[in-house]
Amino acid sequence: MIRKWSIALLGWGAILGLLAPMLHTIWVSFSPDSFLTPPTNVWSVKWYLAYFGDRRWIHATSQSLLIAGMAALLAVAASAPAAWSLGKLTVARQRLLSILLLLPALIPPAALGFGLLPLVYFTGLWGTSLGLVLVHATVGLPIAFLIIRTCLPAKLGELEAAAAGLGANRWEVLRRVTLPLLTPVLLAAGIAVFVLSLNESLVSIFLATPTNETLPAVIWPQLRYSPSPMVAVASCVTALLGMIGMLIVIGILGYQRGRLIAKNTTAINS
Amino acid sequence: MQRISSWLPVFASVALVCGVVMAPLLLLLRVSLYEPATGRGFYTPGTFTFANYAIFADSHVLGIAGFTVLCGVAVATMVLAIAYPLGLFLCSLPPRAQSIAVGLILVPKTAGLLAMLFGLQRWLPRGMLATIIAEVYLVLPYSVIVIYIQLLNLDPTLRDAARGLGASPWQVFRRVTLPLSLPGIRLAFQFGLMWGLGAFLGPLFLGGPSETTLAVELHRQAFEYGRWPLAATEAVGLLIVVSIAAWGVPTVAQLRKVAHS
Repeated sequence: MIRKWSIALLGWGAILGLLAPMLHTIWVSFSPDSFLTPPTNVWSVKWYLAYFGDRRWIHATSQSLLIAGMAALLAVAASAPAAWSLGKLTVARQRLLSILLLLPALIPPAALGFGLLPLVYFTGLWGTSLGLVLVHATVGLPIAFLIIRTCLPAKLGELEAAAAGLGANRWEVLRRVTLPLLTPVLLAAGIAVFVLSLNESLVSIFLATPTNETLPAVIWPQLRYSPSPMVAVASCVTALLGMIGMLIVIGILGYQRGRLIAKNTTAINS
Repeated sequence: MQRISSWLPVFASVALVCGVVMAPLLLLLRVSLYEPATGRGFYTPGTFTFANYAIFADSHVLGIAGFTVLCGVAVATMVLAIAYPLGLFLCSLPPRAQSIAVGLILVPKTAGLLAMLFGLQRWLPRGMLATIIAEVYLVLPYSVIVIYIQLLNLDPTLRDAARGLGASPWQVFRRVTLPLSLPGIRLAFQFGLMWGLGAFLGPLFLGGPSETTLAVELHRQAFEYGRWPLAATEAVGLLIVVSIAAWGVPTVAQLRKVAHS
């Protein structure tokens, strides 16, 4: 019994240890003055008010949300067909495609960021949101691909074949079987990319300009050279947006696991 | 026609990776072969030289490369030492607690990256130890997931069978769970090594001047000094080191072969 409790204590303790720095930042963000000591007696939201009253932070926040949204759409639109058709390829091609699509997560981000610098410059995407959308979508591609590939409904192929056998043409199969079955997974993958994009600092550090700077791009120089409660607030806002997204992803994936297949199988049978 | 339609679904994703990952890497290679700028600009257009690669004979850059490798190995080792027991712990939890725990492990890395770095900065004085700890915080979550998935996919009946045949819990772990999870361990170590070698945010926010990795150094060369060819050369060096880590870590099968010979 003691052994069991001590294992639980160690395990949850380690998880708490991982969370602790972030919780500390949330605590500091309620500081009533400009020191970086966490508040004890007096808590205040004055830095949050200042944050939402500052045009630069507001611009960065909306820019972040916009880019994250577009990147999520693009990443899902690009990776879903690939994950869906993976099973139809030969084993060698499956391996090749998987490695290729995981590449953005394995390349050292600093090398990628710096390599993108001249490319973005020469292609005229410098300072545009489109450039950042393309980059964030590609950085999110591996996670979208992994989520969709792992969560593809088990009987998808059979259901598609059944629909085709019953006389549905390709487009009808896609619209009435494949897409409805995949919607929750695609949604989860999209939100996961959205959350990653909100926190995408590495590439932003190399590519941000005053016109298209995202939240991390405004935060990081201050975090490095002059940390203040304002920076704590900004990173907490980013974290909050991200956590809401993560909760939705976990909810969808948890719900998806059991119900969906059963429900759609009966819908098709009836 | 058949061939075109079978490649159509993968086209968009492959195009993105080629355009946003492959093209910049090729461009890096080209930029590393320009002569540094003499006046204005970031490099001298129209030149071609291998001279930039001489920086890897320079003791300053060699020191940075050495620290990069040290950082990678230290981070990968520490991450593995924490991630494996944590993965075992996750698997021992009831399903509902499992998803909560996985969520909590992923939150700081995915949702609160900057808040996490801010907190670490408040606690740890800049230096070697802080750099390594920050990188462990950055790499650990994904490594835990890699090991956790590997452990989840183990056939539980094998453990039950071993128990039924009279093995103690330790023997079950030593003779069944551990050998079967070796591929996951290798994968987690390899990813940890690749991410640790590319360490950028950790040394940038928690390192002092002596905790400079190749990634931080190339950022400095590019943005503080505007020497693109040198930055590109360092980036190519970093890519080579990471590729060695990707292909050089022996597979379990290879290790077995060595052990048996």
